[in-house]
Amino acid sequence: MMSKYIPTVGIEVHVELKTNTKIFSSSKNGYGETANSLTNVVDLGYPGTLPTLNEEVINLAIKAATILNCKIRRQMHFDRKNYFYPDNPKNYQITQSRTPIGYDGYVEIEVQGEMKKIFIEEMHIEEDTCKSAHRGSVSLLDFNRAGVPLIEIVTKACITSSEEAKLYLEKLKQLLFYGDISDCKMEEGSMRCDANVSIRKNEEDPLGVKCEIKNIGSISNVAVAIEKEIERQEKLVNNNETFQEQTRRFDDKISDTVLMRVKETGNDYRYFPEPDIPYVELTDQMIESAISSIPMLPDERRQLYITRGVTEINANKLIANRGLSDYLNEFIDTNLNFKEAVNLLLGDISGYLNKNEKTIYDTTLTKEKFLDLIKKMEENILTSKNLKDILNKILESDDSIDNIMKKCNISNITDTKMLEDIVLKVISENEESVQDYKSGKDRAIKYLMGQIMKETRGSANPQMVNQILIRELNK
Amino acid sequence: MKYLNLEIKKINRLLKEGKITPVDLVNEAFENIENNKELNAYITLNKEEALKQAECLINKEVDNILFGLPIAVKDNIITKGLRTTCASHILDEFIPIYNATVVEKLRAKNMIIIGKTNMDEFAMGSSSRTSYFGSPRNPWNKKKISGGSSGGSATTIAARDLLFALGSDTGGSIRQPASYTGIVGMKPTYGRVSRFGLVAYASSLDQIGPMTRNVYENALLLNAIVGEDEKDLTSVNKREEDFTRLIGQNIHNMKIAIPNFFMSDIVEEEIRKKVEETIKILENNGATVDYIDVKYLENTVTLYQIIAMGEASSNLARFDGIRYGYSKENPENIEQLYYKTRAEGFGEEVKRRIMIGSYLLSGENAKVYYNKALSIRDDMRKELIKVFQDYDLIIGPTTTTTAYDLDDSMDDPSKSFMDDVLVIPANMAGLPGLNIPIGFDHSHMPIGLHIIGNSFEEAKIYHLASFIEKAVGLELNPNLGGENDE
Repeated sequence: MMSKYIPTVGIEVHVELKTNTKIFSSSKNGYGETANSLTNVVDLGYPGTLPTLNEEVINLAIKAATILNCKIRRQMHFDRKNYFYPDNPKNYQITQSRTPIGYDGYVEIEVQGEMKKIFIEEMHIEEDTCKSAHRGSVSLLDFNRAGVPLIEIVTKACITSSEEAKLYLEKLKQLLFYGDISDCKMEEGSMRCDANVSIRKNEEDPLGVKCEIKNIGSISNVAVAIEKEIERQEKLVNNNETFQEQTRRFDDKISDTVLMRVKETGNDYRYFPEPDIPYVELTDQMIESAISSIPMLPDERRQLYITRGVTEINANKLIANRGLSDYLNEFIDTNLNFKEAVNLLLGDISGYLNKNEKTIYDTTLTKEKFLDLIKKMEENILTSKNLKDILNKILESDDSIDNIMKKCNISNITDTKMLEDIVLKVISENEESVQDYKSGKDRAIKYLMGQIMKETRGSANPQMVNQILIRELNK
Repeated sequence: MKYLNLEIKKINRLLKEGKITPVDLVNEAFENIENNKELNAYITLNKEEALKQAECLINKEVDNILFGLPIAVKDNIITKGLRTTCASHILDEFIPIYNATVVEKLRAKNMIIIGKTNMDEFAMGSSSRTSYFGSPRNPWNKKKISGGSSGGSATTIAARDLLFALGSDTGGSIRQPASYTGIVGMKPTYGRVSRFGLVAYASSLDQIGPMTRNVYENALLLNAIVGEDEKDLTSVNKREEDFTRLIGQNIHNMKIAIPNFFMSDIVEEEIRKKVEETIKILENNGATVDYIDVKYLENTVTLYQIIAMGEASSNLARFDGIRYGYSKENPENIEQLYYKTRAEGFGEEVKRRIMIGSYLLSGENAKVYYNKALSIRDDMRKELIKVFQDYDLIIGPTTTTTAYDLDDSMDDPSKSFMDDVLVIPANMAGLPGLNIPIGFDHSHMPIGLHIIGNSFEEAKIYHLASFIEKAVGLELNPNLGGENDE
C-alpha cells in the first residue's frame, strides 16, 4: 500500500567512546564489571570535586567528526545541562550545547542503487549517566557508566523512510566501528538511537507534529519503530485527530511504540557554560595527528579489494568481518593473490574460526605462513582437499606448512614421470572407460580422474593429471 | 607561657631547639578555643586527631617554618575523616573520604588541622548568620558580627586562638570579615590555589586564601597552598615564588590608584577619613596616589548576583539526598525525596539564591541575564587590568561600614550583597585582593584597607601591606586592647 503521506525522520545516536578512562575522571571506562566498582568521588558527584578532561576523548571526537565529514570547531567549551534525575549524579550533565565539536557533516548511503547524503546537523561530546535498575519499590544505581564519554550525532530531518534510517544506522555503525571510535554494541548500550518522526501531505507543507521514540535496542527495531510510528500518525491524521508532541518508547515484546510522556512546553535545561573546564582550543597539530590515525574505512577497503580482483559480494562479506579485513590489509604491499586469499578467509578459515570461537589473530597463521599457503594453493602443491585435512594443524601449530604436509604424508605428486606411470596404469586397467571416452562419452574422463586420485590418495596435482590423461587418451 | 602569641620565627626556633613540641601548640590552641567558646568560631573540633598528629611530629625534623603549627580550616573545605558541613543541615553528618588539595598541601608542611570554622551556609552571606550552627561573634565586641562568609576563620584569628586559618572568597568572603575583625586576609588570583575540595558556591569566582594576624604570616601560608593542580583545570601553572620576598622594602615611586567609586558616599565618612590618613602616609613615603575613574564598578553587585546565583543553583543541585548528606526518610517517591530533602536540608538564604539562580538561567533569561552579565564582567576585568598599565596597585576601603550588630535585621536580603560592593570587583576580574587593618572607628571596631593587585602579583600586595602594617603600628589583639562593650 502506497502511503499518501511523506514521513520525515531525524535520528539522534549516542555512542560510547572506546577510551581507557572516563571523560572527566581517572576511573576506568569498562563494561560488565561489578556494579559501582569503576567509580570515584568525581563520578559520584561528591561535593568539592572537579572534572578533569580526558584528551583521548577530544582525539576520538576529532576523528569521528572527520569520518562524518563534519566541520571541526577550533574553539569550544562545555556546557551544563541542568535537570534532576537519580541517574544524573551532579544533577547536571556536562555536555556541549553551544559549541559542538563537529557540525555540518554527512554520511553517504546507497538507497535502491542511488547515493544519498544523510546530513549531520551536529556532533557533540558529553558524559554518560549512571545506569538504573528498578526492583519493585526500590531503584538501584550503578555508577560505572557515569562519566563514560559519549558523542551524540544528530542528523537533520532529512530521512524519509525506515529503510533510509536503517541504512544510515548501519553505515554509521560501520564507520564508527572501523574508525576505532566505539565498539558500537547496541546490545551493551554502547550505541543508542532515538528517532524523531513526523508526517505531512506535501513536500511544501510545514513539518507535522514530531514524536520522539527513545532508546530502541537494535537497528532493525529502529526501522520497525519508525514504520509503526508512521502508521500510528497516519491513522490519527486520517481520522482528523490532533495529537501533541510526545516521547514514546519501543516495546520489543509487542513490537510497537508506547507513550512515555507528552512533552510539556519545552524542556528548560538552564544551559550555561561549564565554569570548571576552561575553553578548549584545538591546534592544527592535534587535528592532524588525530586524522592521521584514522584506520582505513569500509568504502576504501571495498574499493581496494575490488581492484585486486575480489568480487563485490566477497568484499562486502569481508568488511562485515573486521578482523579478517584488517588481517588481509596487512598484505596490501605484497603480491598476494587477494581473490584466492579472500576465498580461503571467508571459506575454510572462517569456518574454523567460527567453530572454535577464535579470531584470526588467535591462530598461528603468520603473515609468511599465509603467503606460503596461498602460493601453494595457487600452484596446486596443496589441493583444497589436502587443505581441509591439515587446516587445523596450520592454524594451531608453529610448524611450517611444508613440515605439516610431510608429517601428514601429503607428498604432492607433481613429478611428471610418476604421474604418467599412474595414468598409464589406470588406462590399462580400465579399457571400457577408454572406449567410452573415444566414443564421445565425456563422463568417462571424470571416472578415470577419480580412479587416478584414488590411486594417489588425492595427492596428485589434478590439473597435471588432467593434461596427461587427455594427452594419453588421444594418442 | 603563651607560645601562640609569639612571632612565628620565635615559635619555629623553639620547636627546632626542642624547647616546645607541636603538642604544646595544639594544646594551647584548644585551650584558647575553649576559653573563647562563646565566639562560636568552630563547627567541628579535631581534638583527638590533631593531638595524635602532633605527637607523631615530636621526633620529626622541623624542616619548614609552618611545621607543627595549628591551623583552622573553613568548613567548606573538604577534610578526609573530619566532618565537613558547609554550615548546612544538609551536610551536618557528612564525613568525607577524600581531602581537598589545599589540605594535602598543609599536611605536606606538617601543619595540624585543629578544626573546621563556622561560616555562612554554603558561603552564602556576609555576616555568617546564615550558619545552621549559629553565628560567630566578633572578638572586638561580642554583640557584633564577624562578617562572612569566612566569619569563623576571621574570629579565631582575631581572638588569637592560633596563627593560621583558611577561608574562601567568592565575593569578599575572606577580605570583608578580615576587615571587620582586624586581621589580614588575602584572596589570591583566581587559579592560584586549587579549588579541588572546596565545596563550590560560584565556581568562576571561588578562591581559597589565607587569613592571619599579620602580613608576613599570610604570605608564608600562601607559599604553602599555591600551585597548579591536575585535579583542577582552572588552576594555573606559575613559577614557584616566595611571596614574602618584597616584605619590608620601601615604597619609593610606587604608583597607586584609588577609584573614585571606592571613596564615594556609599562608604561611611569615618572609614574614608581613615583611608585618607593612610594615603597621606603613603605619599609621605614616596608613593604617588591618584584618584581615577574605573568604569563598571557600580554594576558590581548586580553582576555578582546574577553570576554567583546562577552558578550556585547548578552547583548545589547535587545535594539531593541520594548519595550523601541529609536524606528525607520514607519519601513517597523520588520527587518527594528531592523536595523534602532540599526544603528541610537547606536554609532560607541558600534556597533563596538557588531559586533566583534557577530563574536567571531559565529559558530566555539565560541570554538576558547570565550571558549579558558574563560579557559585562569581561569588560570590567579589562577595565581593571588596564589600570595596571599605569599603576602598581589599586587601593580602597574594604568595607562601607564597620562590623554591625548581630541582631540587625536580616530582612533585606540585598543588604548583605551591598556589604561586599567594594571587594567583589576583584572576584569578577579574578584579581588578588587583601585586607590590611588601618585603624578603628569611634567604637573601636577595626577598619580595613583593600589592596588589589594585577593577576599573579600577590607579592606586590604584600609589599605595600607590610609597609602599611608597620607604618600604622596598630595593637590588633583584642584581648590586650580590651573589649569595647559599647
